[in-house]
Amino acid sequence: MASPAAREWLGIQSLPGATQTKLHELLSKLKQENVSTVTILVMGKGGVGKSSTVNSILGERVASVSAFQSEGLRPMMFSRTRAGFTLNIVDTPGLVEGGYVNEQALDIIKRFLLNKTIDVLLYVDRLDSYRVDNLDRLVIKSITDSFGKEIWKRGLLVLTHAQVSPPDGLDYADFYARRSEALLKFIRLGARIKKQEFQDSAVPVVLAENSGRCKTNDSGEKVLPDGTAWIPNLVKEITDVILNGSSPITVDQKLIDGPNPNDQGKFFIPLILAFQYFFVAKWIKRAIKNDIKNESKPLWELRDMGLANREF
Amino acid sequence: MAFSAQHQTLGTQLAGAVPTRPRRPPVSSSSIISASLPESGVSPHQTSSSRPLHWIRKKTLALSSASAFAAAAGGGFLFHLSSGTRPPGNPGGGGGWGWGSGGGGDGGGFWSFIFSPLSAIAEEDQTAAGGGQEWDSHGLPANIVVQLNKLSGFKKYKISEILFFDRRKWTTVSGTEDSFFEMVSLRPGGVYTKAQLLKELETLASCGMFEKVDLEAKTKPDGTLSLTVSFTESTWQSADSFRCINVGLMPQTKQMEMDPDMTDREKLEYFRSQEKDYKRRIERSRPCLLPFPVQREVLQMLREQGKLSARLLQRIRDRVQKWYHDEGYACAQVVNFGNLNTREVVCEVVEGDITKLDVQFQDKLGNICRRNTQLGVIRRELPKQLRQGHVFNIEAGKQALRNINSLALFSNIEVNPRPDEKNEGGIIVEIKLKELDQKSADVSTEWSVLYLVAKDLPTLASLQPGGTVTFEHRNIKGLNRSILGLLTSSNLLNPQDDLTFKLEYVHPYLDGVYNPRNRTFRASCFNSRKLSPVFTGGSALEEVPPIWVDRVGFKANVTESFTRQSKFTYGLVLEEITTRDETSSICTHGTRALPSGGLSMDGPPTTLSGTGVDRMAFAQGNITRDNTKFVNGAIVGERNVFQLDQGLGIGSKFPFFNRHQLTITRFFQLKEVEEGAGKPPPPVLVLHGHYGGCVGDLPSYDAFTLGGPYSVRGYNMGELGACRNILEVAAELRIPVKNTHVYAFVEHGNDLGSSKDVKGNPTEFFRRVGHGSSYGAGVKLGLVRMEYAVDHNAGSGAVFFRFGERF
Repeated sequence: MASPAAREWLGIQSLPGATQTKLHELLSKLKQENVSTVTILVMGKGGVGKSSTVNSILGERVASVSAFQSEGLRPMMFSRTRAGFTLNIVDTPGLVEGGYVNEQALDIIKRFLLNKTIDVLLYVDRLDSYRVDNLDRLVIKSITDSFGKEIWKRGLLVLTHAQVSPPDGLDYADFYARRSEALLKFIRLGARIKKQEFQDSAVPVVLAENSGRCKTNDSGEKVLPDGTAWIPNLVKEITDVILNGSSPITVDQKLIDGPNPNDQGKFFIPLILAFQYFFVAKWIKRAIKNDIKNESKPLWELRDMGLANREF
Repeated sequence: MAFSAQHQTLGTQLAGAVPTRPRRPPVSSSSIISASLPESGVSPHQTSSSRPLHWIRKKTLALSSASAFAAAAGGGFLFHLSSGTRPPGNPGGGGGWGWGSGGGGDGGGFWSFIFSPLSAIAEEDQTAAGGGQEWDSHGLPANIVVQLNKLSGFKKYKISEILFFDRRKWTTVSGTEDSFFEMVSLRPGGVYTKAQLLKELETLASCGMFEKVDLEAKTKPDGTLSLTVSFTESTWQSADSFRCINVGLMPQTKQMEMDPDMTDREKLEYFRSQEKDYKRRIERSRPCLLPFPVQREVLQMLREQGKLSARLLQRIRDRVQKWYHDEGYACAQVVNFGNLNTREVVCEVVEGDITKLDVQFQDKLGNICRRNTQLGVIRRELPKQLRQGHVFNIEAGKQALRNINSLALFSNIEVNPRPDEKNEGGIIVEIKLKELDQKSADVSTEWSVLYLVAKDLPTLASLQPGGTVTFEHRNIKGLNRSILGLLTSSNLLNPQDDLTFKLEYVHPYLDGVYNPRNRTFRASCFNSRKLSPVFTGGSALEEVPPIWVDRVGFKANVTESFTRQSKFTYGLVLEEITTRDETSSICTHGTRALPSGGLSMDGPPTTLSGTGVDRMAFAQGNITRDNTKFVNGAIVGERNVFQLDQGLGIGSKFPFFNRHQLTITRFFQLKEVEEGAGKPPPPVLVLHGHYGGCVGDLPSYDAFTLGGPYSVRGYNMGELGACRNILEVAAELRIPVKNTHVYAFVEHGNDLGSSKDVKGNPTEFFRRVGHGSSYGAGVKLGLVRMEYAVDHNAGSGAVFFRFGERF
């Protein structure tokens, strides 16, 4: 699927002025670091608000969002340029279908991303769901299996529906901390990253609230319950991730196919063969010889061989 | 006769007596021990061979131990065997032990006490005399005692009972309860003439058991006679040592007649020389097999008794012979007791030394015919204990029988020991073989009914004729080489659909028939069609479209047998593998039904080449170490198998791989039990481990699958996953109950995380777990195992019926 030619980012103008300023600041910061193109991959389960987040960032209604069904069956890339800077956002369909990870959808995403470079992965989930289950792990695992562990160094955990009233007895900060901690733990498990390693390069957590009823601050920016404007915050985190020194993920055929297990260790086959011959086969042969030697012969045979000494 | 003639020191009388008694014909000799070999006694390789054809033929194997022997010895040999099974209507037949006393009762220093297996009145005489059991009344008043010579010579008397009267103890015993009964050839209910009775008396008097013996007849009211044998037992001075010597193949000493006119001096001389002769004889005799414990037992008998009586000798003889016969030395017999009236009793035994091994081939009618099989083929199957110079043992005979039987070349096998007429005490082992036809062909057909739905009657279209055509050309060149062809189709109308064929050439004795190394070369063309367990759904996934794996190929290998069960096989396989879907069309990828109802066609690739057809050549090796044996029917021991497929880089996509499997199974006997038929088997603990791995190219059809009755019980074939490395562990405890056993088991199978290393990850694609455990219990019902297994992943259990053993 050919990506449409990058369009001028007009949507940015629909964002509140303060946000625009901040975005421009961040973009220029990236440009200073010689980054002129950023590709953001948005992934997550279905119905968590991936497309809405994309819309919010771009300030355009690029991805159709519906409350009751997932629209995107195939990944969509939205490219916007602004002052020589290109922003590509890839919106993907939900990865879950029928209680399992939809391998097919993942496969389509992978093929879609062929020959593209992923700068940032936004793993989107809801803040307002309470539980993390095995499915989350499977989703994270399949993302890891597809793009490698390294993708999480470029990963961002985006929690949507940030304007949630936490359950009784928990204050917002607490709830947020626990929810993000639970999800991060699953990311660590699903991606099979060592604890130490994970702590060194933690996946940042960003909150988002795409709803139109989101509170706004004085300058009209959408703000979180704690008062921060989340879009600039998100973009700031994205720039931080881009600039954190890890390399972006380039999706090529090899990455899509995964490592070919059939080629692993082929080099050692002669060695393995020699080991099998000299140790395993010889060992069994020796055991057989022992068996023959220790075979208990019937008495009449022993007597015949003159071994009985008339004792039996 | 051969063994006994020279023993008869009272030869003059007996010489006349013996020839008048025709030998019993060997056919009617009831002392044949026929051993018919049960089919289960054959090595497992044979039974598991795919040639059930061989087992249709009944193999009767008569191992006639000493049958001919008995016949030659005039029916006297092996009294115990023949007495029980005497054909009815011959009450007087059968054997009796003749006991000859040597040198007369008043001799002195040297005594020889001889068993001479004298034949008693033979059946022919009996039937002639008895003439259909007609008899004459004695015609005398009842209840009077008549001297034997007072009886009429023209009448045929019926003896209604025989009593023994011991003059020394002054007791009367009913005939059948006395140990001397076996000496008497007369039987209650028999009809005899006076001459016969007199002859019997003569025999008894001369047998050496009695110092004095008499026969008295008492008339009975019903016209029959009651016969009383009144006797005084012979006794000798007590002895305190016992020696057993093997006199087989030794010329028997000729005993000179003692001239009654000898002076005392001459007599002394005579006895001295006899004594010297006997000493020399003892020295020259070979040591016998009789072990010391039995000797001690006999010694104990001697000590307890004090005086050495004829009865005691009889008991000693029985004890010694019993040991020999119990141990399988069926041709062994006590022929003589020597050195009586000294402190040492010498028991002379003929153990049955083999003087010749004779292999005969018979045609269907039992006539000796030309052989096709080379002798070396048979000779290498015979235990060396059957060769010349060894003592014949029935177990060696049985082993020969089993070994020859496992060649599957003969329809009938007999191993007979026969006395060697030219060599006293020698045995000729005769092996009689009937060869099977070299060429055989077999066609079997069957109808199968397709799609028989409840209400529908089968129509012509739903009936499928199927069948198998087999041909075999066996024993080519007499070297047991064979060609076997097999063609099976379940639909003869359209055989190309599922034609299974196999053409195999077997070439045993690769290193020569006379080389002890046992290597067999096999070459075969084959095809097979199997449902791939790799493309099977996990427990959560309902239906997975099946993938059939068709293999056509050529295989050549060499098998070296180290023992009956342990062997090493190595060879080469060339094969073409085609994967097909349900519709028999070639498919390249596995498919899975999507929740939306569609089919996902991008499953794991079925072949290495990706085209659905792979060709490859690889080397194959298998080494099996198996020292399991049966202890009262329970299997005990250890079995290790290492199997290796080594890709050679020849074929589609140049497959180069090393696929290896190691299986270790141990059967621990948990309790020592006494071995023997009918004894209960011990409880057994089975531990089993199986590791498999593959390095290099691994097409889906060669991936290891987890789950199934031979992997992890309680799951379906492949339900747990398909992987590159596999580890299975299992434990089973078998407890014998009555004639069968119950068992409990725990099993676990694991992919060791290697499922992802199979291309396309079929484990994940079909939503399988990749590992699983199960536990359960079951009972063995004949060949069928009934077990309840709990699938630990789902936590639910089910009852399964399986054929054969898991391990």
